[in-house]
Parts: sequence; C-alpha cells; structure tokens
Amino acid sequence: MALRNHSGVIASLAALAALLLAWGGNPYIMSITIAALMTGGVALAWALLGNLGGMVSFGHAAFVGAGAYVSALCTLRLGVPVPVGIVLGALGAALSAIVMLPALRLRGPYFALAILAYAHIFRIAATEWTSVTRGAAGLSAIPALPVLPGLDAKASACLLAGLLVLGFALAYRAIRASHAGLALRAMHDSEDATRVLGVNSTLLKGLMLLVSSAMAGAIGAFNAHYIGFLEPDYAFGAMWVTLPIVAAIFGGYRTLAGPVIGALVVSLADQLLFKEWLPIGHQFLLGVLLVAMILAHPSGLLPLAGNVLRRLRPGGNGKGGGHA
Amino acid sequence: MTELLLQALYSGLLQGGAYALIALGLALVFGTMKIINLAHGELVLMAAYVAYAAESALGWHPLAAIVLALPATGLTAAGMHWTVSRIRADREINSLLLTFGFAVVLTNGFLMLWSADVHSTSSAWLQDALVLGPLYSMHSEALSFAISLALLAGLWWWLARSWHGRALRAVAANRDCAMLMGIAPGRTELLSFVLAGALAAFAGVALYCHGVIQPALGGALTVKAFIITVLAGLGSIPGVLAAAILLGICEALTVTLASSALQELTGMVLFLVVLFVLPNGLFGTARRRG
Amino acid sequence: MIQRRDFHRPVRRAALAAALAASCLSLAPAFAAEFLVGAELPLTGALARVGNGMHEGVHVAAEVFNKANGRHKIRLVSIDDESTPAKAIAAVEKLASQGVLAITGGYGSNNIAPAAEAANRLNLVYMTSGGVDDSLVSAGRKNFFRINNTAGYERAVLGLIGDMGAKSVSIVYSTKDATTDLALSVQKALAASGVRAEAHSFDPAITDFKPVINKIRLQDRPDVILMAGYENDYVGILRAARVLKPPVKAMVGVWSLATPKMAAEFPDLMPHVYGTALLPFPATFETADGKAFSDAYRQLYRKEADYLGQFGYVQGMLLFEAIARAFDKGTLAKGGIADELRKTDRDTLIGRVQFAANGDNPHFVHRMGQHQDKKIVIVWPKQYATGPKVYPGVPW
Repeated sequence: MALRNHSGVIASLAALAALLLAWGGNPYIMSITIAALMTGGVALAWALLGNLGGMVSFGHAAFVGAGAYVSALCTLRLGVPVPVGIVLGALGAALSAIVMLPALRLRGPYFALAILAYAHIFRIAATEWTSVTRGAAGLSAIPALPVLPGLDAKASACLLAGLLVLGFALAYRAIRASHAGLALRAMHDSEDATRVLGVNSTLLKGLMLLVSSAMAGAIGAFNAHYIGFLEPDYAFGAMWVTLPIVAAIFGGYRTLAGPVIGALVVSLADQLLFKEWLPIGHQFLLGVLLVAMILAHPSGLLPLAGNVLRRLRPGGNGKGGGHA
Repeated sequence: MTELLLQALYSGLLQGGAYALIALGLALVFGTMKIINLAHGELVLMAAYVAYAAESALGWHPLAAIVLALPATGLTAAGMHWTVSRIRADREINSLLLTFGFAVVLTNGFLMLWSADVHSTSSAWLQDALVLGPLYSMHSEALSFAISLALLAGLWWWLARSWHGRALRAVAANRDCAMLMGIAPGRTELLSFVLAGALAAFAGVALYCHGVIQPALGGALTVKAFIITVLAGLGSIPGVLAAAILLGICEALTVTLASSALQELTGMVLFLVVLFVLPNGLFGTARRRG
Repeated sequence: MIQRRDFHRPVRRAALAAALAASCLSLAPAFAAEFLVGAELPLTGALARVGNGMHEGVHVAAEVFNKANGRHKIRLVSIDDESTPAKAIAAVEKLASQGVLAITGGYGSNNIAPAAEAANRLNLVYMTSGGVDDSLVSAGRKNFFRINNTAGYERAVLGLIGDMGAKSVSIVYSTKDATTDLALSVQKALAASGVRAEAHSFDPAITDFKPVINKIRLQDRPDVILMAGYENDYVGILRAARVLKPPVKAMVGVWSLATPKMAAEFPDLMPHVYGTALLPFPATFETADGKAFSDAYRQLYRKEADYLGQFGYVQGMLLFEAIARAFDKGTLAKGGIADELRKTDRDTLIGRVQFAANGDNPHFVHRMGQHQDKKIVIVWPKQYATGPKVYPGVPW
C-alpha cells in the first residue's frame, strides 16, 4: 500500500528526469513541454473543482489571469522576489474567487457560465485600469524565474514546472483522501443526504473553489514569469479554458493523473502532429479528438488504458489507474 | 441629451430583437433537453457564411440564401442531436463537452474554408438608413427585428397550439410522463434540435445582413445567447424576447452614458446580478432541485 | 547533476557556414547557395488575417529574389505562432533548431517581444513589419529590425488632417494596444497644435456603433472623424455614420481601410474615405522592383496585393539581400546579416529604408490614400500623391 502511494510520485519524477536528460538542451522540446505542463496544471485545478467541488467551470481563465497579474505587478512594482510573487499570485487568485462565492449556489451550466462572466469582467478591468496594469499595452520585462544551478534556463523552467504540477497533484490527492474529501465525494452523490448528516456543503465547496483558483493562479503567475510579457487578452484568453478542458476530458477527469497526462498528450499531439498535417485550423483535429473521446470513452484516456492493460493481464490485480 | 437617449433606446431595442433570434434556438433546446448546445453560435455563423457564399459566389441577394441555409443548419443540428443522444452517462456535463468539441470543429472548419477575412453584405438597400423621426437605423436591422418578432410569435403559437409543439413542452416538463402519454421523446428532442437549427439559419442570415462575420464570432454568439437564456429563465419564449431587449437596451445605454469600452461589461454584470437575485431568471418557473 | 548542452544548433550553423565558405573557395566564382530563412507568424488565432497577409508578401519576396538572383536561393520555412507569445517563442526555437539563418515575421507587439527576445538569445536576426510599439526598439536587442513604427502612421494621419485644416477631430478607437497607442498619441499632438480632439474608446466586440457615432454627432460636432480599428470596426462605424449622417467633412481611418478588398466588398461605404495606403489602386509601379512584386503576387495568389503583402515583401526582400551580401563577404557566421542590414540604405515600395542602431527605420512615413470611384488615390504626402483629395467628402 505504501509503495502504491509513492509509486505515482516516483514514476513522475523518473519521467521528468528522463525527459530532461534526453531533451534538456533542446529549447523547442522544453518549450512545448512547459506549455503542456501549464495546461496540465490548469486542467488539474479544473478537474479538482469538478470532482471534489462538483462544479464545472468555463472561466478558469479568470484565475490564471488574476494570478499572473498579481505576481507580475508585485515583482515589477514592489520588487518582490519571483517565488514569493508566485505565492502572492496564487493568493490573489484565491481572493478573486471570494468574489465568486455567491455563485456557489448556482447549478451546473449556470455556475459554469457565471465564472466565464467573471473572466470577461476581469479582462475588461485589466484593459481599463491602465494606471495599474498599463491596459492593453500590457506589462513587459517581467522578472524571470530563478534558474536552478547546473541547468540552463529552459531546462530549469521545465523542471520547476514539473515539480509545481506534481505538488498540485499531491495536494489534490491529500485533499481527496482527507475527511473533507470523503464528505465531498458523498456530496457528489447526494447533496441533500450529506446535508442531513450535518456536512456544511457550502463551506466545503467554497474551500474547493479557493484551492482550485489558487492552483490556477499559481500556474498563471509561473507562466507570466516564464514568458516575461503579459497583456489582458493573453492573460484571460479563451485558450486557458479550452485546452485544459480538452486535456482533462481526454485524459480522464475523474482520475488524478488523467488531466496532466491528457495535457501532455493533447499538447504534444497538437504541436507535433496536427500542426504538421493541418497548419491552418489544426485545432479542428483537437475538436474532433474531443468529440470522438466523449462518444467512445467518456471517462477518458487513462481509464481506457487501464482497461486495456487489465485485459492484457488476466491474472493481475485490478490496477487500472486511480479513480475517484 | 434626450435625442441621444431615445436613439440609444431604439438601437438597443433593435439589437435586442437580433439577439433574441440568436438566443431562441439555444433556449428551445435547453428547455426541452436541459442541454446547452455550445455549438449553437457556430450554427448561426454557418448560416451567415452560407449567405456570404450565396452572395459572393452565386450573386444572390443574401435574404434569398435562407433557402440554402435552412437545410445546412437543419442537417447539422440533426447530426448534433444524433451524437448527443449517444451519450449514456453524465449527460449534463458530457453534452456540454461534446457540443464544445463541435464548436471547436466548426470554428476551425470555417477558418479553413473561408479564411480569417471579415465579410458582410454589400447590398446597398440593406445598409441604407431608415429614419423614423429622430430615430435612425439600417433597413437590415429593422427587417431583422421584424423577422425576429414574427418567428417568436410563430414559435409561441406553435408551442401552445400544435400537437408537436405541445409534445415538446410535455417532454420538457417531464420526459418519463410524456413517454407514458405516448409521446416519443427521442423524436421530439430531434425536432427541437432541428427547429433550433432552423431558427439559427434565420438568425445567421440576418446577422450577415446587418453585422460583420468572421470565424471567431461563433463563441461570442453562444455566450450572448446563453446569457439571454439564463436571464429569461427556463421555459419562457416571450421571456427570451424581453431578456434580449433588456440586454440590448442596457448595452446601448452604457455606451451612451458611460463608454463604449464597457459595453461587453454590461452583459456580464447584468447576467451576474440577475443570477444572484433571481436564480430562476426573470420569467422562469422555479424548479425543484434534484 | 543534470548537465546537457545541445551542441547541435550552433555547430550545425557554423558547419553550414563553413561548408558554404569552403565550397565557395573550391568551386567556380558563381556558386549557388541555398539559404534557409524562418518565418514565424500568426496563421491561426486572432491575428490570422494579418499574419497570412504578411506571409504572402514574404513568400513573394522569396520568389522574386530567387528569380532575380541567379546564384542564391532562399528557402522559407514557416511556422504558425497561433497569435500567442508561448507558441511564438516555441516557433523561434524550432526554426533555430532547423538551422535557419534569420527569422522574419511576427505580428502584434505582445507576440513579437518574447519572440524577438528568444531570437536575440539565439543570435538570430529578427525582422518584422508587424510590431509598431516603441518598447520593441528600446529593449536593446542587437538583432531586432523593423521597417515601420507607430510614429510613421501618426505622421501620415497628422499630415493629412493638417492639410485639411480641420479645427476639431473626434477619434473613435478600439481598446486594443496598437489602436489605443495611436489614438492617444494623435490626440495629444492635435491638442498641442490647437485642434480640438475628443477621444472615444470602444470594446473590440462591439458591432453597433450608432450610439457612439450619435454621441459624436450631437455632442462633439467635429470636422473630421478619425477611426482607429480593424476591418470589422470600420464597416460598423461607416455604416452607423451612413445612417446618422453626422455633418463631418471627412472620415479618416488608419490601417486595413484603404485597400482594394474594402473597395470591392463595400462599395457603398467607401467613397471618399481615407486610410493609410502604400500604393494606389490600380497599382502603378514606377520601379522594376515594384513591377516584379506586383506580377509575382498576382501570379502566386491571383489577387491584388494589399498593404500587408507589401510590407511583407519589403521586410523579406531586405533580409534576403542582406543574407546574400553577408554570404558573399563570408561574414554569415560572424553576425554578418545584422551588419549588412545596418548598412542598408535603399528605396523600396514603402520609401527609403535604413536601420538605426536600435533596429528602427527612422525614415518611415506612411501615406494616406482616399477611395475615389472604386479606386484608391494616394493624397498625402505630396511627393507620392497620385491625385488630389476630395475634401469635403463623405460616403453619403
């Protein structure tokens, strides 16, 4: 049991190390991996909100952008060191989620689009509040991420991104295994029943929203320091909504590793394959992929792989990927 | 100042009518199947592109293109329904994601077929001014409003009086009971999708006549349509018109009294305010949870 | 400790340069070399329209260069940056790993800045016509070059308005970065010269401009309306103006307005409207360069070139010529391309081009064209004018 708990962590670290050893000096591979990890982080945050909070959101871009701006401004204007900036970015995003708490009592698609409305409002606020955010011109020369000793900047950023996402996955797992996680899963099945048992569902859902937003905000902050430039359309862009959702669904949003694996597969497939086949409109294939996945195997790639593996190993114990 | 305000109200009214036409299809499907078709905006855009193709390649008057747009969107909508009905588990979220995938496919399809250029009608009459006292508008906008009202009234009558219309309302109210009553829910749901597609066809042709289209527009249309659907509340056709006009007028007033930079903000803020104060929308009937 | 340097890239480029140099010595003087040049630009996403236009121009430049220069050949490799900074950086890196000698392209200062940064770090020249923001040339990048800037657009607009003798101007501008910059800059300059200038911003998603034009008609009452936006904005604004008929003497726009496409697609909205334009339409070319450009463009794309293609052509051509010169002098591997670009002083489709130490083109002044009878006539500045302006003149 103990080994199983750590096996995921060990596997992830091993994969990360292998990646850096093989392609650490190739900036292009590093670039697309970092982009994939960014998507994976937001996908993880989105899946957390969906699984533990029971709420689908179409506006996670709001948190990503909020975190990015808070961190960028703190490091640029207040001279805060970058790692502190990222933490502040996460907190800033969580604070912005507090404004959204009244939306918690909305059901399904209403909540999803309420968050989208917030994302639009944040974008317009960032564009209009020129005295602070420099409006549409955006922020430039944002301080870069610290470079780990012995690595070049790109490989270091990749390693940091990988560790960040791994950290989030561990946090997600910890929450899920805790008392709160148990209550939340029960809530998923029947909110009324859990209410009767005295579980404060609203408080728990609110906490999940804060956690999810903080994660997304941290990713946004990390990305801002990695790219070095930030402007409202990019910070709150639809890509921070579309790709994480596709990734999470593709990989299996009910699993722990699914969103990140999905992000890696989808991003890399998109950049390395689809872009070659269809230079204009390659996201067309991404959409087709999503449709095919939902129709064929809605629980995603990871459980599918798990099923396939299980069928190939008739005598083994059912080790088909962790599931909620 | 009064002249400004009057024009703002008038512009908002007409724009609201156009919005209502776009939102109607989405509201219909949402009411019947409790599914948000996130590709609805793309259906509208498809019809607009058909109108563009008809005008530029065939030399037709864009309004005549409705003849081509109807089968195009109707068939696509039927296709969407077919795939959505294939979903077995977690229909609410999976249908959201499925239609989202369709939206991505269609948007990029338009990009590949027609490139990112912007297009709109070049017909002079549609762009000419219609002046009613101190109120100005384009012929196309007034026409769009009239078509919108006509279709809304027609739909409302159809839902109230015709057999199929009432079957649709029955399925919307309680699917299982409707089945017991001898209504085939699958076919009724298909009907609602196809009807939504037809409405989208009119909305798209009208959009091409008074607005500018480009592939990226689909998403924005879906969001607007959804905002209006929520504002209206489930199950209310006249509510869609009222909500759409409310949105149009609020936007126009924001532009006139404050700044055009804040127009999009209006819709979002209005959306949130209504949701928080009246979770069932302005005219929706309260639904039991669970 | 993980330590990995990829020696492939710089070694590969040095090897290419060495091989070329070696073969240059070993073979006859007229040795043909093939140069790999990278193009990273938005072919999808929000900037797809302008990115594709620029791409066409660069392509035409390669065609014309290859035909004219018997010895050397340019081979273009294009990568879509999807209008996002992350993909722009990745595109630059991918092109570098493929061994390109220089990179051209880029649109939108927010995508160009990170891409130029990446190119600079890889010691690759980055040449663009899509980034007019001042911050791009004040970041101290030795390998960044551009052929146009905001100042050039401003000078053209201010020159035209000055010529008209307008006493008051209302500026309608999109809240996007480039349009806001231009609008506020022009407003300041007009105010300084004693012209009353009101500015009204609008969200890019707006489709109905009647409320804002009505405000201008009833409250501002200007002589001239200046529009800073993109094609869909112009159509919306002109339609609203055509309906409300404000008593103005001219409608002036900036980029994407005085184009053959607008003249053809919206004949009722364009009469007497002004916009920035490099060439009149139908285009008349005085120089052999211009003729070659026009013919090649029509042959490749079966349509008339617009300003995007024209800028793309100039940026590509200047870069290719610099590469060829650097190769001939044997300085390719030693920053020769950048040196040759700094020595450039040439008359082109967009006028005289030179590159200052910061990579900017100090001579850039755009030209203003006016739609007249479904044609476009250049009306400012006088030395490039092909006809007089019709003032007052509006589309209704």
